[in-house]
Amino acid sequence: MTVEPGGATTAAPASQPSQPTQLTQQAADPSSELIQLLTPEGERIDHPDYPVDLTAADIRDLYRDLVLVRRIDTEAIALQRQGELGIWASLLGQEAAQIGSGRALSPQDMVFPTYREHGVAWCRGIDPVKLLELYRGVSHGGWAPEEHKFHLYTIVIGAQTLHATGYAMGIQRDGAVGLDDEGREGGGGGGEAVIVYFGDGATSQGDVNESFVWASVFNAPVVFFCQNNQWAISEPLEKQSRIPLYQRARGFGFPGLRVDGNDVLACYAVTKKALAAAREGQGPTLIEAFTYRMGAHTTTDDPTRYRLAAELEMWKLKDPIERVRVYLARTGQADPDFFAAIDEEAKKVGAGVREACRTMPDPPPLAIFDNVYTQPNAILQAERDQYAAYLDTFEAGEGAPR
Amino acid sequence: MTTLTLSKALNEGLRKALEDDPKVLIMGEDVGKLGGVFRVTDGLQKDFGEARLIDTPLAESGIIGTAIGLALRGYRPVCEIQFDGFVFPAVDQIVSQLAKMRYRSLGKLSLPVVIRIPCGGGIGAVEHHSESPEAVFAHTAGLRVVACADAADAFTMIRQAIRSDDPVIFFEPKRRYWDKGEVDTAADLASALPMDRARVVLEGTDVTLLTYGPLVRTSLEAALAAREDGPGNGRSIEVVDLRSLSPLDTETIFASVRRTGRCVVAHEAPVYAGLGAEIAARVTEACFYHLEAPVLRVGGFATPYPPSRLEEHYLPDLDRILDAVDRTFGY
Amino acid sequence: MTELKQFRLPDVGEGLTEAEIVTWHVKPGDLVEDGQVIVDIEAAKGVVELPSPWDGVVTRLLAEEGQTVDVGAPIIAIQVGAAAGEPAASGSAQADNAERAVVTPPAPADQSASGEPPQRQAVLVGYGVKASATTRRARKVTAGRTETAEVPTLQDTPAEPGTGTARALAKPPVRKLAKDLGISLAELTGSGPDGSITRDDVHRAASDTTARSAEIVNGNGAAAATSPAAPSRGGETRIPVRGVRKHMAAAMVASAFTAPHVTEFLQVDVTETMAALRRVRDLPEFSGLRVSPLLFVARALVVAAGRHPLINSSWDEAAQEIVVKGYVNLGIAVASDRGLLVPNVKDAGRLSLPELARGLQDLAETARSGKATPADLSGGTITITNVGVFGVDGGTPILTPGEAAILAFGQVRDVPWVVDGQLAVRAACTLSLSFDHRVVDGELGSAVLRDVGAMLSDPVRMLAWS
Repeated sequence: MTVEPGGATTAAPASQPSQPTQLTQQAADPSSELIQLLTPEGERIDHPDYPVDLTAADIRDLYRDLVLVRRIDTEAIALQRQGELGIWASLLGQEAAQIGSGRALSPQDMVFPTYREHGVAWCRGIDPVKLLELYRGVSHGGWAPEEHKFHLYTIVIGAQTLHATGYAMGIQRDGAVGLDDEGREGGGGGGEAVIVYFGDGATSQGDVNESFVWASVFNAPVVFFCQNNQWAISEPLEKQSRIPLYQRARGFGFPGLRVDGNDVLACYAVTKKALAAAREGQGPTLIEAFTYRMGAHTTTDDPTRYRLAAELEMWKLKDPIERVRVYLARTGQADPDFFAAIDEEAKKVGAGVREACRTMPDPPPLAIFDNVYTQPNAILQAERDQYAAYLDTFEAGEGAPR
Repeated sequence: MTTLTLSKALNEGLRKALEDDPKVLIMGEDVGKLGGVFRVTDGLQKDFGEARLIDTPLAESGIIGTAIGLALRGYRPVCEIQFDGFVFPAVDQIVSQLAKMRYRSLGKLSLPVVIRIPCGGGIGAVEHHSESPEAVFAHTAGLRVVACADAADAFTMIRQAIRSDDPVIFFEPKRRYWDKGEVDTAADLASALPMDRARVVLEGTDVTLLTYGPLVRTSLEAALAAREDGPGNGRSIEVVDLRSLSPLDTETIFASVRRTGRCVVAHEAPVYAGLGAEIAARVTEACFYHLEAPVLRVGGFATPYPPSRLEEHYLPDLDRILDAVDRTFGY
Repeated sequence: MTELKQFRLPDVGEGLTEAEIVTWHVKPGDLVEDGQVIVDIEAAKGVVELPSPWDGVVTRLLAEEGQTVDVGAPIIAIQVGAAAGEPAASGSAQADNAERAVVTPPAPADQSASGEPPQRQAVLVGYGVKASATTRRARKVTAGRTETAEVPTLQDTPAEPGTGTARALAKPPVRKLAKDLGISLAELTGSGPDGSITRDDVHRAASDTTARSAEIVNGNGAAAATSPAAPSRGGETRIPVRGVRKHMAAAMVASAFTAPHVTEFLQVDVTETMAALRRVRDLPEFSGLRVSPLLFVARALVVAAGRHPLINSSWDEAAQEIVVKGYVNLGIAVASDRGLLVPNVKDAGRLSLPELARGLQDLAETARSGKATPADLSGGTITITNVGVFGVDGGTPILTPGEAAILAFGQVRDVPWVVDGQLAVRAACTLSLSFDHRVVDGELGSAVLRDVGAMLSDPVRMLAWS
């Protein structure tokens, strides 16, 4: 038997070898609340702590973000199937967690992602082609972090939580904490905060726990945004923790809360509040966005080997995009023309992604030697010269290893 | 000129660095209030404050990881790892993140982080306090690795390391912390020997002895002992302090070996897969026609560091170094 | 412009090598869009949708539902860039016929013939393992020599002038050779890269100064040996070991203590040879030429070497090979003002008897008068030494370095001999053949010695074996 938030239960088929997700403490623990502002059916709920100050236009914009981000993700999966990408880490199902939190950021906040935050990258204005570069094997990260206030993808699980915490300690030393919008030193609006993304599996890593220690002890302005998508490749949540993840923060001495990760409005509101608290000098918050990894861990993973089809079906009913569409349509905040226009735009975005990916050139061979150090290094320079001479000994057109 | 111990020279160098650049921070376990277990950061927190002299939680990976974050924010953190054997929890942050960030970002990001590590044996310690892990870091592209050997170099190199925009692993020979040396504290850093260069600390004609860190002093003592006429006849040993382990100053090394025709490398780290192997391979390839004998290496055994009662057998001393010199003349 | 393309079954990332076509979602004639799902395939644990990679019109389905297809095999043909209804792209029978002429046959499974990259088995974190090349890439060839990259900074450069003691450059084995031969590297000019001294440089220096006392004369000549002054009565005289003697000594040592020497002896009845010698001397072809037993011994040895090529070889220690020479450069030990020299007659196997006589005579003259060239003195493959001039019968000669055999012959003198069961007086001569036992075993050495003896006891055999 599994117990889902909201109390629905599903039976586990006897033939399946793997364990379904369990949240046994969920129902019993009154503090294990799931903050939700928009139900899967598209109904609005009010929460006393999280007023929603979004207009109809804002919500239509969120809908557009969700649809386009999903489209990019789907295109990338197809491109991998055609051999144009080595792998792709799909965010399917997690769009609301990323768009909601991403749109809650102020321009001056800094983001430290993992390697799946394509939705947050979208919010930070990063061209999707730059994400494809990494998965195509053309670069390890093609955008300028400070330009977009979005750090490069970090593949080592959890390592970025320490970087985010250190960055936040730097913000403190710059005096950019505890300012109101007008009073920021040196101009610009408001204090700065950091948000760092990581998954449920990452919470087991030493570095993540060390970052909780540091952030709490130094009261650093960092929001820890955990997308609990229930699975770390093939390992379910209960392999990572006996208690709901958001409750971990209590052990370190800072607030933790759980939000419906498929509810873009709730994710937006909760993140906005946590960022404001950080900016104002109240220190870190742990947000657990309760969501589901609808796709595979990466395109080479086969989830059918370790999870139940029934579970997937159940989460389909909680689709993050569908509930927004239903809400907008039912309340008259969007008409059929609007949805058609978004679909049309999605098609164009998709075509653009395909074209950009297929025409992406490989870097020249000698680029291997660039950007290792800031100062010249004689040993490396010698290797570069040697390799260039070596390549030159081959007949034209035979310059690359086969 | 002032006479300073090596640890005091480091202290003075760190002080100057903190004065020169408000972005410089020092962070590590016990570095602030206590001034460091070897007193290298003594008195600095009082003068520069807690925001810049940070007593960190007991978490080496955390120290380096947050230093990376601070560096991304524009600061120049100088981390202290309390003892060589405790750097290992931080190796992931050093190797996977610190070393690779510039390359990963195609040059857009640089991490001017210095990691100070007291290293080496000879202090009669329990386990994990006498290691020489420099080969791990020399083998990691993206890091600069240096080792100071005396007070003068300590004073200069720590400031050069802090000014470098590349991440630097800075090895300090802990058993030499109390060795005194003459330091020109007023000398201009711009005229100092660059951090990536080796130095011929004693000229000689018969054999080139390459070494670094704690064994520089031992090598000088060996060279002086070898000059005396004795049963083996006097030998003129040229001692070269490598100073920079990555990159190696091959120009100075090769010039010396081509003059003498013989080469011995001495380090505390185990000989097996140690830095001496890299040096020997390069010297052999580049100086092949000049060599009268193969390059010989003196170093620790292929064992974990022994209990302190046995460490004198493990560490290369004057006799072991001169034995290697004798052996090069046997070809 | 439209183009007919085939979409091949991709590896969708589970390491599959084949898949079953489950359901086609398109049929010939359908317009398809880039990204549109065209077929469901059954992978290892479930159904995977495949999107079309192109915009165009389906011309033909190349696999049927229920059919298992290999990864890499074409499954559908699409007229890329066509719009529905274009005649060239219609799904009618005409299109089928037209297409049959156009469609290329399916590529072999490994794809390499079609020029596509080798299929890779994708892994969780990337494209997967790529098959590596099993042949070398073609390198440029300049001036008949395949290029290899120069190693710019690790290349050893000689010390710049004026930077203190210029060291002799030589690689370790050459240093050892020089040490063993007693050659000082500092006195040599190197012919190797960057002025380094080579093995040949050292050998040349050693053989230039090889010295041994001997003299070639005709059969009855007396030896003229140089000997040191007698020590003063009751005392000792010290003769410095220098120059020629030093290098000769070193060469002797190198030869004697490197090659395991075995010497075999054969006393031969050379009566017939001496008779033949007299008749040959009178032939007009030999007027003006010295005809001595040496000529016949030389010819016999050359013939024997032709019959047993391995005797005419050398042991290459460095390469661990025996180098069998296809030519006989016959060395003759000669006494000269400089000491013992061993010049050689080149390609003696191809010379006629008069030519061989001429060669031997010229060699002796130029060598004795000190005019032997380095070319004369190098390249020898086998040696003869006449110890008869010293009035002895035989000895245990030491090999010339680099050779595998040396034949000494002693004085010719009358001795009692058994002929047809009766005692007779015959002219006899002892042959002493030393050989390098690494190269030549007892059987071979004996065979060569026997052959030489046979030819000298009956010179007609020389004719039969030439």
